Amino acid sequence: MGVTCVSQMPVAEGKSVQQTVELLTRKLETLGAEKQGTFCVDCETYHTAASTLGSQGQAGKLMYVMHNSEYPLSCFALFENGPCLIADTNFDVLMVKLKGFFQSAKASKIETRGTRYQYCDFLVKVGTVTMGPSARGISVEVEYGPCVVASDCWNLLLEFLQSFLGSHTPGAPAVFGNRHDAVYGPADTMVQYMELFNKIRKQQQVPVAGIR
Amino acid sequence: MADVLSVGVNLEAFAQAISAIQALRSSVSRVFDCLKDGMRNKETLEGREKAFIAHFQDNLHSVTRDLNELERLSNLVGKPSENHPLHNSGLLSLDPVQDKTPLYSQLLQAYKWSNKLQYHAGLASGLLNQQSLKRSANQMGVSAKRRPKAQPTTLVLPPQYVDDVISRIDRMFPEMSIHLSRPNGTSAMLLVTLGKVLRVIVVMRSLFIDRTIVKGYNENVYTEDGKLDIWSKSNYQVFQKVTDHATTALLHYQLPQMPDVVVRSFMTWLRSYIKLFQAPCQRCGKFLQDGLPPTWRDFRTLEAFHDTCRQ
Repeated sequence: MGVTCVSQMPVAEGKSVQQTVELLTRKLETLGAEKQGTFCVDCETYHTAASTLGSQGQAGKLMYVMHNSEYPLSCFALFENGPCLIADTNFDVLMVKLKGFFQSAKASKIETRGTRYQYCDFLVKVGTVTMGPSARGISVEVEYGPCVVASDCWNLLLEFLQSFLGSHTPGAPAVFGNRHDAVYGPADTMVQYMELFNKIRKQQQVPVAGIR
Repeated sequence: MADVLSVGVNLEAFAQAISAIQALRSSVSRVFDCLKDGMRNKETLEGREKAFIAHFQDNLHSVTRDLNELERLSNLVGKPSENHPLHNSGLLSLDPVQDKTPLYSQLLQAYKWSNKLQYHAGLASGLLNQQSLKRSANQMGVSAKRRPKAQPTTLVLPPQYVDDVISRIDRMFPEMSIHLSRPNGTSAMLLVTLGKVLRVIVVMRSLFIDRTIVKGYNENVYTEDGKLDIWSKSNYQVFQKVTDHATTALLHYQLPQMPDVVVRSFMTWLRSYIKLFQAPCQRCGKFLQDGLPPTWRDFRTLEAFHDTCRQ
Protein backbone atom coordinates (compact mmCIF):
# COMPACT_ATOMS: atom_id res chain seq x y z
CA MET A 1 0.00 0.00 0.00
CA GLY A 2 1.41 3.32 -1.00
CA VAL A 3 0.95 6.72 0.56
CA THR A 4 -2.66 7.84 0.17
CA CYS A 5 -4.35 11.19 0.51
CA VAL A 6 -8.11 11.38 0.93
CA SER A 7 -9.82 14.71 0.48
CA GLN A 8 -13.14 16.24 -0.27
CA MET A 9 -13.92 18.08 -3.44
CA PRO A 10 -16.48 20.87 -2.94
CA VAL A 11 -19.39 20.79 -5.33
CA ALA A 12 -19.00 23.33 -8.10
CA GLU A 13 -21.15 26.43 -8.09
CA GLY A 14 -24.53 25.87 -9.63
CA LYS A 15 -23.82 22.25 -10.47
CA SER A 16 -24.98 19.00 -8.99
CA VAL A 17 -22.79 16.41 -7.38
CA GLN A 18 -22.93 14.18 -10.42
CA GLN A 19 -21.93 16.96 -12.75
CA THR A 20 -18.95 17.85 -10.63
CA VAL A 21 -17.88 14.22 -10.55
CA GLU A 22 -18.17 14.14 -14.30
CA LEU A 23 -16.05 17.27 -14.61
CA LEU A 24 -13.36 15.70 -12.48
CA THR A 25 -13.34 12.42 -14.36
CA ARG A 26 -13.12 14.21 -17.66
CA LYS A 27 -10.14 16.19 -16.40
CA LEU A 28 -8.49 12.97 -15.32
CA GLU A 29 -9.08 11.38 -18.67
CA THR A 30 -7.54 14.29 -20.53
CA LEU A 31 -4.53 13.95 -18.23
CA GLY A 32 -4.14 10.43 -19.57
CA ALA A 33 -5.56 8.31 -16.77
CA GLU A 34 -7.17 4.96 -17.57
CA LYS A 35 -10.38 3.77 -16.03
CA GLN A 36 -9.90 0.62 -14.02
CA GLY A 37 -13.18 -0.44 -12.50
CA THR A 38 -15.06 0.79 -9.48
CA PHE A 39 -14.50 1.09 -5.76
CA CYS A 40 -16.59 1.38 -2.65
CA VAL A 41 -15.78 2.45 0.91
CA ASP A 42 -18.47 2.29 3.53
CA CYS A 43 -18.73 3.01 7.20
CA GLU A 44 -21.14 2.07 9.94
CA THR A 45 -21.19 3.68 13.35
CA TYR A 46 -21.62 1.91 16.64
CA HIS A 47 -21.67 3.42 20.07
CA THR A 48 -20.93 1.69 23.31
CA ALA A 49 -24.09 0.47 24.97
CA ALA A 50 -25.32 2.31 28.04
CA SER A 51 -24.93 -0.72 30.26
CA THR A 52 -21.20 -0.79 29.88
CA LEU A 53 -20.61 2.85 30.67
CA GLY A 54 -20.07 2.40 34.34
CA SER A 55 -20.64 4.81 37.23
CA GLN A 56 -18.46 7.67 36.06
CA GLY A 57 -20.94 8.44 33.33
CA GLN A 58 -18.25 8.74 30.76
CA ALA A 59 -19.52 9.51 27.27
CA GLY A 60 -19.94 6.54 25.02
CA LYS A 61 -17.18 6.08 22.51
CA LEU A 62 -18.03 5.82 18.89
CA MET A 63 -16.69 2.92 16.95
CA TYR A 64 -16.59 2.83 13.21
CA VAL A 65 -16.65 -0.36 11.22
CA MET A 66 -15.47 0.21 7.69
CA HIS A 67 -14.93 -1.77 4.54
CA ASN A 68 -12.77 -0.94 1.55
CA SER A 69 -13.16 -2.66 -1.80
CA GLU A 70 -9.40 -2.38 -2.23
CA TYR A 71 -9.07 -4.94 0.59
CA PRO A 72 -12.07 -7.15 -0.01
CA LEU A 73 -11.20 -9.72 2.63
CA SER A 74 -10.69 -7.24 5.44
CA CYS A 75 -12.78 -5.25 7.80
CA PHE A 76 -11.52 -2.21 9.69
CA ALA A 77 -12.72 -1.21 13.13
CA LEU A 78 -11.52 2.03 14.61
CA PHE A 79 -12.17 4.52 17.35
CA GLU A 80 -11.89 8.21 16.74
CA ASN A 81 -8.50 8.79 18.30
CA GLY A 82 -7.77 5.27 19.14
CA PRO A 83 -6.37 2.16 17.62
CA CYS A 84 -7.47 0.68 14.35
CA LEU A 85 -8.14 -3.01 14.09
CA ILE A 86 -7.75 -4.81 10.78
CA ALA A 87 -9.79 -7.95 10.88
CA ASP A 88 -11.36 -10.63 8.73
CA THR A 89 -14.78 -10.06 7.10
CA ASN A 90 -16.24 -12.29 9.77
CA PHE A 91 -15.89 -9.33 12.08
CA ASP A 92 -19.27 -8.08 10.87
CA VAL A 93 -20.87 -11.25 12.13
CA LEU A 94 -18.99 -10.80 15.38
CA MET A 95 -20.53 -7.35 15.80
CA VAL A 96 -23.95 -8.92 15.70
CA LYS A 97 -22.93 -11.13 18.59
CA LEU A 98 -21.61 -8.12 20.50
CA LYS A 99 -25.00 -6.40 20.37
CA GLY A 100 -24.93 -6.08 24.12
CA PHE A 101 -21.82 -3.94 24.08
CA PHE A 102 -22.05 -2.03 20.85
CA GLN A 103 -25.24 -0.70 19.41
CA SER A 104 -25.59 0.48 15.88
CA ALA A 105 -26.41 4.16 15.57
CA LYS A 106 -29.53 4.88 13.62
CA ALA A 107 -29.25 5.70 9.94
CA SER A 108 -25.54 5.91 10.28
CA LYS A 109 -24.37 4.05 7.22
CA ILE A 110 -22.39 6.30 4.94
CA GLU A 111 -20.56 5.17 1.86
CA THR A 112 -18.71 6.44 -1.17
CA ARG A 113 -18.83 4.78 -4.54
CA GLY A 114 -17.14 5.67 -7.76
CA THR A 115 -14.56 4.81 -10.41
CA ARG A 116 -10.85 4.02 -10.15
CA TYR A 117 -8.35 5.60 -12.47
CA GLN A 118 -4.73 4.65 -13.00
CA TYR A 119 -2.18 7.23 -14.14
CA CYS A 120 1.40 6.02 -14.24
CA ASP A 121 1.97 4.94 -10.61
CA PHE A 122 -0.95 6.96 -9.21
CA LEU A 123 -4.30 5.41 -8.34
CA VAL A 124 -7.09 7.98 -8.25
CA LYS A 125 -10.55 7.21 -6.92
CA VAL A 126 -13.35 9.72 -7.34
CA GLY A 127 -16.49 8.81 -5.48
CA THR A 128 -19.89 10.19 -4.55
CA VAL A 129 -20.50 10.15 -0.80
CA THR A 130 -24.07 9.06 -0.07
CA MET A 131 -25.91 8.76 3.14
CA GLY A 132 -29.06 6.80 2.55
CA PRO A 133 -30.62 7.93 -0.68
CA SER A 134 -29.05 11.35 -0.88
CA ALA A 135 -25.65 12.31 -2.21
CA ARG A 136 -23.78 14.46 0.25
CA GLY A 137 -20.43 15.19 -1.33
CA ILE A 138 -17.47 14.04 -3.37
CA SER A 139 -14.46 12.16 -2.10
CA VAL A 140 -11.15 12.09 -3.93
CA GLU A 141 -8.48 9.57 -2.99
CA VAL A 142 -5.02 9.55 -4.55
CA GLU A 143 -2.58 6.75 -3.83
CA TYR A 144 1.06 6.81 -4.87
CA GLY A 145 2.08 3.17 -4.94
CA PRO A 146 5.87 3.19 -4.93
CA CYS A 147 6.37 5.27 -1.80
CA VAL A 148 5.60 3.97 1.68
CA VAL A 149 6.84 6.81 3.84
CA ALA A 150 4.35 9.65 4.07
CA SER A 151 6.73 12.49 4.76
CA ASP A 152 8.84 11.65 1.71
CA CYS A 153 6.38 12.15 -1.05
CA TRP A 154 3.92 14.77 0.13
CA ASN A 155 5.33 17.40 -2.27
CA LEU A 156 5.07 14.97 -5.15
CA LEU A 157 1.47 14.12 -4.27
CA LEU A 158 0.66 17.80 -3.90
CA GLU A 159 1.96 18.53 -7.38
CA PHE A 160 -0.15 15.76 -8.82
CA LEU A 161 -3.25 16.86 -6.91
CA GLN A 162 -2.81 20.39 -8.15
CA SER A 163 -2.67 19.19 -11.74
CA PHE A 164 -6.26 18.03 -11.68
CA LEU A 165 -7.91 19.55 -8.60
CA GLY A 166 -6.56 23.02 -9.23
CA SER A 167 -7.54 25.38 -6.46
CA HIS A 168 -9.33 22.73 -4.41
CA THR A 169 -6.09 21.00 -3.44
CA PRO A 170 -6.19 20.01 0.21
CA GLY A 171 -3.55 20.50 2.84
CA ALA A 172 -1.46 17.67 4.27
CA PRO A 173 -3.63 15.13 6.07
CA ALA A 174 -3.21 14.89 9.82
CA VAL A 175 -2.02 11.31 9.66
CA PHE A 176 1.03 12.42 7.74
CA GLY A 177 2.15 14.55 10.60
CA ASN A 178 1.73 11.83 13.18
CA ARG A 179 3.90 9.21 11.63
CA HIS A 180 7.15 10.66 10.43
CA ASP A 181 9.15 7.78 9.20
CA ALA A 182 6.81 4.94 9.84
CA VAL A 183 5.61 2.83 6.98
CA TYR A 184 2.21 3.92 5.72
CA GLY A 185 -0.55 1.36 6.07
CA PRO A 186 -4.18 0.81 5.10
CA ALA A 187 -5.27 1.77 8.60
CA ASP A 188 -4.09 5.32 7.93
CA THR A 189 -6.28 5.50 4.84
CA MET A 190 -9.30 4.34 6.80
CA VAL A 191 -8.64 6.98 9.44
CA GLN A 192 -8.66 9.60 6.71
CA TYR A 193 -11.95 8.26 5.34
CA MET A 194 -13.45 8.27 8.80
CA GLU A 195 -12.52 11.93 9.27
CA LEU A 196 -13.95 12.75 5.85
CA PHE A 197 -17.23 11.01 6.57
CA ASN A 198 -17.55 12.77 9.91
CA LYS A 199 -16.96 16.10 8.26
CA ILE A 200 -19.58 15.40 5.63
CA ARG A 201 -22.05 14.19 8.25
CA LYS A 202 -21.74 17.49 10.07
CA GLN A 203 -22.14 19.50 6.87
CA GLN A 204 -25.56 20.59 5.83
CA GLN A 205 -27.23 18.74 3.07
CA VAL A 206 -26.15 19.92 -0.39
CA PRO A 207 -28.71 22.64 -1.29
CA VAL A 208 -29.25 21.62 -4.93
CA ALA A 209 -31.90 18.97 -4.77
CA GLY A 210 -32.58 15.92 -6.87
CA ILE A 211 -29.13 14.43 -6.77
CA ARG A 212 -28.45 10.78 -7.26
CA MET B 1 25.51 3.65 -74.05
CA ALA B 2 26.56 7.01 -75.40
CA ASP B 3 29.41 7.55 -72.93
CA VAL B 4 30.81 4.11 -73.64
CA LEU B 5 30.80 4.58 -77.36
CA SER B 6 32.25 8.05 -77.38
CA VAL B 7 35.49 6.90 -78.98
CA GLY B 8 35.55 5.18 -82.31
CA VAL B 9 32.03 5.99 -83.43
CA ASN B 10 31.13 8.57 -86.01
CA LEU B 11 27.80 9.81 -84.71
CA GLU B 12 27.10 11.74 -87.93
CA ALA B 13 27.55 8.65 -90.04
CA PHE B 14 25.47 6.75 -87.51
CA ALA B 15 22.52 9.13 -87.93
CA GLN B 16 22.88 9.08 -91.69
CA ALA B 17 22.99 5.29 -91.68
CA ILE B 18 19.72 5.19 -89.72
CA SER B 19 18.01 7.45 -92.29
CA ALA B 20 19.53 5.31 -95.07
CA ILE B 21 17.89 2.27 -93.48
CA GLN B 22 14.57 4.09 -93.49
CA ALA B 23 15.01 4.97 -97.16
CA LEU B 24 15.84 1.35 -97.97
CA ARG B 25 12.77 0.15 -96.16
CA SER B 26 10.50 2.57 -98.01
CA SER B 27 11.94 1.58 -101.40
CA VAL B 28 11.50 -2.12 -100.62
CA SER B 29 7.93 -1.50 -99.58
CA ARG B 30 7.41 0.43 -102.85
CA VAL B 31 8.55 -2.66 -104.75
CA PHE B 32 5.98 -4.79 -103.07
CA ASP B 33 3.31 -2.14 -103.55
CA CYS B 34 4.04 -2.09 -107.21
CA LEU B 35 3.76 -5.85 -107.39
CA LYS B 36 0.55 -5.76 -105.45
CA ASP B 37 -0.96 -3.07 -107.68
CA GLY B 38 -0.27 -5.08 -110.73
CA MET B 39 -0.62 -3.74 -114.28
CA ARG B 40 -2.19 -0.37 -114.95
CA ASN B 41 -4.98 0.04 -117.20
CA LYS B 42 -3.68 0.90 -120.69
CA GLU B 43 -5.02 0.38 -124.23
CA THR B 44 -2.83 -2.51 -125.33
CA LEU B 45 -1.52 -5.50 -123.44
CA GLU B 46 2.04 -4.72 -124.49
CA GLY B 47 1.73 -1.19 -123.25
CA ARG B 48 0.58 -2.45 -119.92
CA GLU B 49 3.33 -5.00 -119.65
CA LYS B 50 5.99 -2.49 -120.64
CA ALA B 51 4.80 0.08 -118.14
CA PHE B 52 4.70 -2.52 -115.40
CA ILE B 53 8.18 -3.82 -116.09
CA ALA B 54 9.61 -0.28 -116.26
CA HIS B 55 8.04 0.64 -112.98
CA PHE B 56 9.26 -2.54 -111.39
CA GLN B 57 12.79 -2.02 -112.60
CA ASP B 58 12.84 1.55 -111.27
CA ASN B 59 11.89 0.35 -107.85
CA LEU B 60 14.52 -2.37 -107.86
CA HIS B 61 17.18 0.15 -108.86
CA SER B 62 16.24 2.45 -106.01
CA VAL B 63 16.52 -0.50 -103.63
CA THR B 64 19.99 -1.32 -104.92
CA ARG B 65 21.03 2.34 -104.63
CA ASP B 66 19.82 2.60 -101.06
CA LEU B 67 21.50 -0.64 -100.11
CA ASN B 68 24.83 0.56 -101.55
CA GLU B 69 24.46 3.83 -99.68
CA LEU B 70 23.80 1.93 -96.46
CA GLU B 71 26.83 -0.28 -96.97
CA ARG B 72 29.01 2.77 -97.55
CA LEU B 73 27.74 4.48 -94.44
CA SER B 74 28.02 1.35 -92.28
CA ASN B 75 31.70 1.21 -93.14
CA LEU B 76 32.07 4.78 -91.85
CA VAL B 77 30.45 4.00 -88.53
CA GLY B 78 33.19 2.69 -86.32
CA LYS B 79 33.06 -0.31 -84.12
CA PRO B 80 32.08 0.30 -80.50
CA SER B 81 35.06 0.12 -78.17
CA GLU B 82 35.84 -3.31 -76.96
CA ASN B 83 36.59 -2.12 -73.45
CA HIS B 84 33.26 -2.94 -71.99
CA PRO B 85 33.73 -1.93 -68.36
CA LEU B 86 30.43 -3.45 -67.26
CA HIS B 87 31.23 -6.91 -68.63
CA ASN B 88 28.43 -9.31 -67.93
CA SER B 89 26.29 -6.95 -65.91
CA GLY B 90 26.33 -4.47 -68.79
CA LEU B 91 24.69 -7.07 -70.98
CA LEU B 92 21.77 -7.02 -68.54
CA SER B 93 21.19 -3.39 -69.41
CA LEU B 94 20.42 -4.37 -72.97
CA ASP B 95 17.16 -5.94 -71.80
CA PRO B 96 14.48 -3.61 -73.16
CA VAL B 97 11.59 -4.55 -70.91
CA GLN B 98 12.31 -2.10 -68.09
CA ASP B 99 8.87 -2.16 -66.48
CA LYS B 100 8.55 -5.85 -65.88
CA THR B 101 12.14 -6.80 -65.17
CA PRO B 102 14.06 -3.76 -63.90
CA LEU B 103 17.08 -5.93 -63.26
CA TYR B 104 19.82 -3.56 -64.28
CA SER B 105 18.60 -0.53 -62.32
CA GLN B 106 18.04 -2.67 -59.23
CA LEU B 107 21.49 -4.15 -59.65
CA LEU B 108 23.05 -0.69 -59.78
CA GLN B 109 21.17 0.42 -56.67
CA ALA B 110 22.18 -2.70 -54.74
CA TYR B 111 25.80 -2.18 -55.68
CA LYS B 112 25.82 1.48 -54.62
CA TRP B 113 24.11 0.60 -51.35
CA SER B 114 26.54 -2.15 -50.47
CA ASN B 115 29.46 0.15 -51.20
CA LYS B 116 28.06 2.79 -48.88
CA LEU B 117 27.38 0.19 -46.20
CA GLN B 118 30.95 -1.03 -46.35
CA TYR B 119 32.24 2.49 -46.01
CA HIS B 120 30.05 3.33 -43.02
CA ALA B 121 30.86 0.02 -41.34
CA GLY B 122 34.54 0.79 -41.67
CA LEU B 123 34.08 4.21 -40.05
CA ALA B 124 31.96 2.75 -37.25
CA SER B 125 34.41 -0.01 -36.40
CA GLY B 126 37.21 2.54 -36.25
CA LEU B 127 35.26 4.66 -33.80
CA LEU B 128 34.11 1.73 -31.68
CA ASN B 129 37.57 0.29 -31.36
CA GLN B 130 38.66 3.48 -29.67
CA GLN B 131 36.48 2.61 -26.67
CA SER B 132 37.34 -0.64 -24.98
CA LEU B 133 34.20 -2.73 -24.65
CA LYS B 134 35.45 -5.31 -22.23
CA ARG B 135 35.08 -4.56 -18.59
CA SER B 136 37.49 -7.22 -17.39
CA ALA B 137 41.23 -6.87 -17.73
CA ASN B 138 42.31 -8.97 -20.65
CA GLN B 139 45.33 -9.07 -22.88
CA MET B 140 44.25 -7.86 -26.27
CA GLY B 141 46.01 -8.81 -29.46
CA VAL B 142 48.31 -11.38 -27.93
CA SER B 143 48.88 -14.30 -30.23
CA ALA B 144 47.44 -17.67 -29.31
CA LYS B 145 50.81 -19.13 -28.50
CA ARG B 146 51.74 -16.45 -26.03
CA ARG B 147 48.29 -15.98 -24.45
CA PRO B 148 48.34 -17.28 -20.90
CA LYS B 149 46.17 -20.30 -20.33
CA ALA B 150 44.61 -18.94 -17.15
CA GLN B 151 41.76 -16.42 -17.22
CA PRO B 152 42.48 -12.80 -16.41
CA THR B 153 43.09 -12.33 -12.73
CA THR B 154 40.17 -10.04 -11.98
CA LEU B 155 37.65 -12.62 -13.10
CA VAL B 156 38.80 -15.32 -10.71
CA LEU B 157 38.79 -13.81 -7.30
CA PRO B 158 38.40 -15.88 -4.16
CA PRO B 159 34.85 -15.59 -2.76
CA GLN B 160 36.26 -14.52 0.58
CA TYR B 161 37.74 -11.43 -1.01
CA VAL B 162 34.40 -10.56 -2.60
CA ASP B 163 32.69 -11.02 0.78
CA ASP B 164 35.21 -8.71 2.41
CA VAL B 165 34.78 -5.96 -0.14
CA ILE B 166 31.01 -6.12 0.11
CA SER B 167 30.95 -6.06 3.87
CA ARG B 168 33.25 -3.06 3.87
CA ILE B 169 30.92 -1.21 1.54
CA ASP B 170 27.99 -2.28 3.72
CA ARG B 171 29.54 -0.48 6.65
CA MET B 172 30.28 2.63 4.60
CA PHE B 173 26.75 4.00 4.43
CA PRO B 174 24.38 3.89 7.37
CA GLU B 175 21.15 4.00 5.42
CA MET B 176 22.17 1.29 2.99
CA SER B 177 22.37 -2.35 4.04
CA ILE B 178 23.76 -5.10 1.81
CA HIS B 179 23.01 -8.75 2.29
CA LEU B 180 25.13 -11.21 0.33
CA SER B 181 24.14 -14.75 -0.60
CA ARG B 182 25.32 -17.38 -3.06
CA PRO B 183 22.28 -19.45 -4.00
CA ASN B 184 23.52 -20.25 -7.50
CA GLY B 185 27.16 -21.27 -7.45
CA THR B 186 29.96 -18.81 -6.99
CA SER B 187 28.17 -15.69 -8.23
CA ALA B 188 27.30 -13.40 -5.39
CA MET B 189 23.76 -12.04 -5.19
CA LEU B 190 23.35 -8.89 -3.18
CA LEU B 191 20.12 -7.59 -1.72
CA VAL B 192 20.65 -3.88 -1.10
CA THR B 193 18.03 -2.11 0.99
CA LEU B 194 18.13 1.65 0.75
CA GLY B 195 16.31 3.23 3.68
CA LYS B 196 12.57 2.71 3.18
CA VAL B 197 12.68 3.70 -0.46
CA LEU B 198 13.77 0.75 -2.52
CA ARG B 199 15.38 -2.64 -2.69
CA VAL B 200 17.96 -3.60 -5.29
CA ILE B 201 18.98 -7.10 -6.29
CA VAL B 202 22.50 -7.11 -7.72
CA VAL B 203 23.81 -10.19 -9.50
CA MET B 204 27.58 -10.29 -9.65
CA ARG B 205 30.26 -12.23 -11.45
CA SER B 206 33.25 -12.27 -9.11
CA LEU B 207 33.56 -8.54 -8.42
CA PHE B 208 31.88 -7.32 -11.60
CA ILE B 209 28.27 -6.25 -11.46
CA ASP B 210 26.29 -8.19 -14.05
CA ARG B 211 22.65 -7.23 -13.59
CA THR B 212 20.50 -5.18 -11.29
CA ILE B 213 16.78 -5.15 -10.59
CA VAL B 214 15.28 -2.32 -8.57
CA LYS B 215 12.02 -2.86 -6.72
CA GLY B 216 9.95 -0.95 -4.23
CA TYR B 217 10.40 -1.26 -0.49
CA ASN B 218 7.06 -3.00 -0.07
CA GLU B 219 7.40 -5.32 -3.05
CA ASN B 220 8.23 -8.97 -2.68
CA VAL B 221 11.79 -9.85 -3.64
CA TYR B 222 11.54 -13.54 -2.94
CA THR B 223 9.91 -16.25 -5.01
CA GLU B 224 7.41 -18.68 -3.55
CA ASP B 225 10.28 -21.04 -2.67
CA GLY B 226 11.88 -18.38 -0.54
CA LYS B 227 14.77 -17.83 -2.94
CA LEU B 228 15.77 -14.44 -4.23
CA ASP B 229 13.71 -13.56 -7.29
CA ILE B 230 16.18 -12.16 -9.79
CA TRP B 231 13.96 -12.04 -12.84
CA SER B 232 10.59 -10.41 -12.23
CA LYS B 233 10.36 -6.69 -12.80
CA SER B 234 8.88 -4.17 -10.43
CA ASN B 235 5.17 -3.40 -10.61
CA TYR B 236 5.77 0.32 -10.57
CA GLN B 237 6.89 2.34 -13.55
CA VAL B 238 9.21 4.50 -11.51
CA PHE B 239 11.23 1.49 -10.36
CA GLN B 240 11.30 0.03 -13.84
CA LYS B 241 12.86 3.30 -14.94
CA VAL B 242 15.37 3.24 -12.10
CA THR B 243 16.28 -0.33 -13.09
CA ASP B 244 17.14 0.90 -16.58
CA HIS B 245 19.22 3.71 -15.13
CA ALA B 246 21.02 1.28 -12.83
CA THR B 247 21.90 -0.90 -15.80
CA THR B 248 23.31 2.17 -17.53
CA ALA B 249 25.30 2.97 -14.41
CA LEU B 250 26.85 -0.47 -14.11
CA LEU B 251 28.05 -0.18 -17.68
CA HIS B 252 29.30 3.33 -17.11
CA TYR B 253 31.46 2.73 -14.08
CA GLN B 254 34.30 0.71 -15.57
CA LEU B 255 37.81 0.19 -14.33
CA PRO B 256 39.10 -3.20 -15.41
CA GLN B 257 42.06 -3.30 -13.03
CA MET B 258 40.26 -2.20 -9.87
CA PRO B 259 36.78 -3.69 -9.70
CA ASP B 260 36.29 -2.89 -6.03
CA VAL B 261 36.50 0.84 -6.79
CA VAL B 262 33.84 0.25 -9.41
CA VAL B 263 31.51 -1.42 -6.92
CA ARG B 264 32.09 1.39 -4.44
CA SER B 265 31.25 4.09 -7.02
CA PHE B 266 28.18 2.18 -8.10
CA MET B 267 26.95 1.96 -4.51
CA THR B 268 27.63 5.65 -3.97
CA TRP B 269 25.58 6.43 -7.07
CA LEU B 270 22.81 4.13 -5.88
CA ARG B 271 22.74 5.77 -2.48
CA SER B 272 21.67 9.06 -4.06
CA TYR B 273 18.28 7.46 -4.62
CA ILE B 274 17.46 7.76 -0.93
CA LYS B 275 15.76 11.03 -1.89
CA LEU B 276 13.98 9.62 -4.92
CA PHE B 277 10.60 11.04 -3.94
CA GLN B 278 11.80 14.15 -2.19
CA ALA B 279 14.18 15.80 -4.63
CA PRO B 280 12.81 17.98 -7.42
CA CYS B 281 14.44 17.98 -10.83
CA GLN B 282 17.47 20.27 -11.02
CA ARG B 283 16.57 21.44 -14.48
CA CYS B 284 12.83 22.08 -14.51
CA GLY B 285 12.28 22.37 -10.76
CA LYS B 286 9.18 20.20 -10.77
CA PHE B 287 8.57 16.90 -9.06
CA LEU B 288 6.58 15.11 -11.72
CA GLN B 289 7.09 14.65 -15.42
CA ASP B 290 4.62 12.29 -17.10
CA GLY B 291 3.81 10.96 -13.68
CA LEU B 292 7.42 10.09 -12.84
CA PRO B 293 9.68 11.75 -10.28
CA PRO B 294 13.27 12.64 -11.24
CA THR B 295 14.73 9.19 -11.72
CA TRP B 296 18.08 10.04 -13.32
CA ARG B 297 21.10 10.68 -11.15
CA ASP B 298 24.06 12.27 -12.88
CA PHE B 299 27.11 10.04 -12.77
CA ARG B 300 29.49 12.70 -11.58
CA THR B 301 27.46 15.15 -9.55
CA LEU B 302 24.65 12.82 -8.35
CA GLU B 303 22.06 15.52 -9.05
CA ALA B 304 18.49 14.49 -9.71
CA PHE B 305 16.98 14.98 -13.15
CA HIS B 306 13.93 13.77 -14.93
CA ASP B 307 14.74 11.26 -17.60
CA THR B 308 13.68 13.75 -20.24
CA CYS B 309 15.48 16.67 -18.57
CA ARG B 310 18.94 15.20 -18.32
CA GLN B 311 21.73 16.88 -20.25
